[in-house]
Amino acid sequence: METNQKSLYIIIIGCGRLGSLLANMLSKEGHSTVIIDNNIHSFDALNSTEFSGFQIEGDATELSVLKEAKIDKADILIGATHDDNINIMIGQIAKRVFTVPNVLIRILDQNKEPLLQKIDIKYVCTTTEIASKIIELI
Amino acid sequence: MKERKVLIVDDEKNIRMTLSQTLADMELSIETAINGEEALAKSEGTKFDILFLDLKMPGMDGMEVLRQIKDSQPDVKVIIITAHGSIEIAVEAMKLGAVDFLQKPYTPNEIRELVSTIIKREYLISKEPQDYRTYVEYAKKSIAERQFDLAIQYIKKAIAMDYDHAEAFNILGALYEIMGDIAEAQKNYRIALSIDPTYEPAEKNLYRSTRLRSGDSIIFNKNE
Repeated sequence: METNQKSLYIIIIGCGRLGSLLANMLSKEGHSTVIIDNNIHSFDALNSTEFSGFQIEGDATELSVLKEAKIDKADILIGATHDDNINIMIGQIAKRVFTVPNVLIRILDQNKEPLLQKIDIKYVCTTTEIASKIIELI
Repeated sequence: MKERKVLIVDDEKNIRMTLSQTLADMELSIETAINGEEALAKSEGTKFDILFLDLKMPGMDGMEVLRQIKDSQPDVKVIIITAHGSIEIAVEAMKLGAVDFLQKPYTPNEIRELVSTIIKREYLISKEPQDYRTYVEYAKKSIAERQFDLAIQYIKKAIAMDYDHAEAFNILGALYEIMGDIAEAQKNYRIALSIDPTYEPAEKNLYRSTRLRSGDSIIFNKNE
């Protein structure tokens, strides 16, 4: 994160383990955070003492949902659903259509890394990261 | 510039917290209230400049709070906090002099810009403005002072400067609705939509103003 001084407008897609953890942490740091998930029960994972942002129940592959989240005003968008393809697609929409300055997505399938490098989307491949970590610890 | 007093009225702790935090560095004195009753109690002892108000609260609803506070403090500038897609009551709020809306989710910049715009609006002096935006601000200022005739003149001048904004036609429509001219109101909502078919406030206003009102429903059977 570039600066902790300024409160940023952050949109997180997917309120699973990773999305909710990020939402809790970033909101607690004082950023204005919006989390989108198509299952309202997923929001149970948000910690009420840490998370003070907004929740939107809806399918983030729908443009209307992204617009409702005011994606055009976002400083950061994080794709954290369990589906790589959804993360990649939303990442591209955010970057190319809405020119969100900082787009980051999580992927699980390491085979998709070359593709993401080619289309210039910042990503973290958890499988690769964990594999290197494990090897490091051996 | 004197320090402005801001009152944030919302039953949601998150909203009170994020708004207070965002406004913290703006040299404002900030107070919060968790419901309408507390807001009215606080406004008895203090004169507020800006009021952030949620319309949906348990107990006394926001519209009632707006009505009562505007009665005792007509100069207070009110920002209505709305959820996505619930702007149909905007005309009702406008009638009471509330012209600014903050739609959730909001960004820190939106909040700060809105507050600055409202503060700057007070300093608008009565020389003829030169551009669309300033005329719109004049119109909003007139609405806040409940001078609806004057607001109509200003918004028409804004449109004359630049007729390509759905926002101005929607405001004009709402003003006509306040004045009781539904046909003219709907005409302007339609113009707003022809400029920007995705402009939601105009769509909602048109829908609301054309549908049957409760109480006007057709009676089919005496026993119904």
